[in-house]
Amino acid sequence: MPSTFSRFVPPVNFALVEEGVYRAGQPTAINIPFLESLKLKTIVWLAVEEPNEMVLAFADENELTIHHMGLAEGGNPWDPLTEQCVLDALHEVINLSNFPLLISCGMGRHRTGTVVGCLRRLQGWNLAAALEEYRRFTGTRRTRVVNELHIEAFRRESVALPAKEVIPKWLWAALSTE
Amino acid sequence: MNPSGLYAHYIDEPETPRPSPLVPPLCFSMVSPGVYRSGYPLEINFPMLEKLKLRTIIYLADTDYLDENITWCQRHDITVHHYRVPSVREPFVENDPVAIESALRVLSDRRNFPLLVHSNKGKHRVGVLIGCMRKLLQKWSLTAIYAEYMRFAGEKGDADLEFIELFEPKSLGDVPEDSRQEWLVT
Repeated sequence: MPSTFSRFVPPVNFALVEEGVYRAGQPTAINIPFLESLKLKTIVWLAVEEPNEMVLAFADENELTIHHMGLAEGGNPWDPLTEQCVLDALHEVINLSNFPLLISCGMGRHRTGTVVGCLRRLQGWNLAAALEEYRRFTGTRRTRVVNELHIEAFRRESVALPAKEVIPKWLWAALSTE
Repeated sequence: MNPSGLYAHYIDEPETPRPSPLVPPLCFSMVSPGVYRSGYPLEINFPMLEKLKLRTIIYLADTDYLDENITWCQRHDITVHHYRVPSVREPFVENDPVAIESALRVLSDRRNFPLLVHSNKGKHRVGVLIGCMRKLLQKWSLTAIYAEYMRFAGEKGDADLEFIELFEPKSLGDVPEDSRQEWLVT
């Protein structure tokens, strides 16, 4: 890449989820200036493998916490996340003290999409909207039914909400019935 | 699907009753802090959108706004900027640079936030404006902009991608410094 390249390059499949929460595939060196602009505090890393050296070094230099959560049983990259893993990930994602936070896995599609889909259900979104968003990143032909089922079967009651002071305001608004 | 799983005991039980789900408009997404995008918001979407406390809507389409939308916007004190841009039909109906430039100026002023940009489907016309915003206000690489455009619009839209690349308005510089959103890179 020419050193004169002055534009920001977000990681593959980067998007905003809510204020303070981003999603993306695994970042590479070209994404560093963009990542710096996000001033991240936390990465929820959902892949089986460790993040690459660049991500580890970036986290080290910028004092980021990486929560590596994709490891549960079996350990094949194509296996779906377990329910416990999704709940553990959501526990970090709805805690304001972790913000700004990046949800990430290899390509930012299936594992990241499963967690974001369940977050949408927690926010009270209807299923079709949550799945539309999931497929926006996987493509309609490469969707994984098992992950869609996970989003459908998810129940908001299974998430223990954190203390009121650390619930992000967008979640607070979604949960209030006014 | 997974009878031993954590959610299993919920599957045959009704979910704790909730008045009704929150239904976002089609193709809804956050774009940047204070900026959202979507397709046309219908009444079914109003409860979800009310959570966002919108101050401004940018509507990109050559059709009239429905009465229920006008009433809803008045009730919630939402200012609507309606740009009557046609749906692009290659090769003869093109994007309107004057409208895009004007809409970008609204988008670059955080006094208008929270703000929703919508068209009818939330794919092409919204995609062009957001693409121009990524390029001119946030200095994203075109490759990343195109990936985002296509995530919503799919395969169609070659003329839109060309427009985003070549669009260079004379100046967006008349937004006062202290009203600019912090992600505005100039």
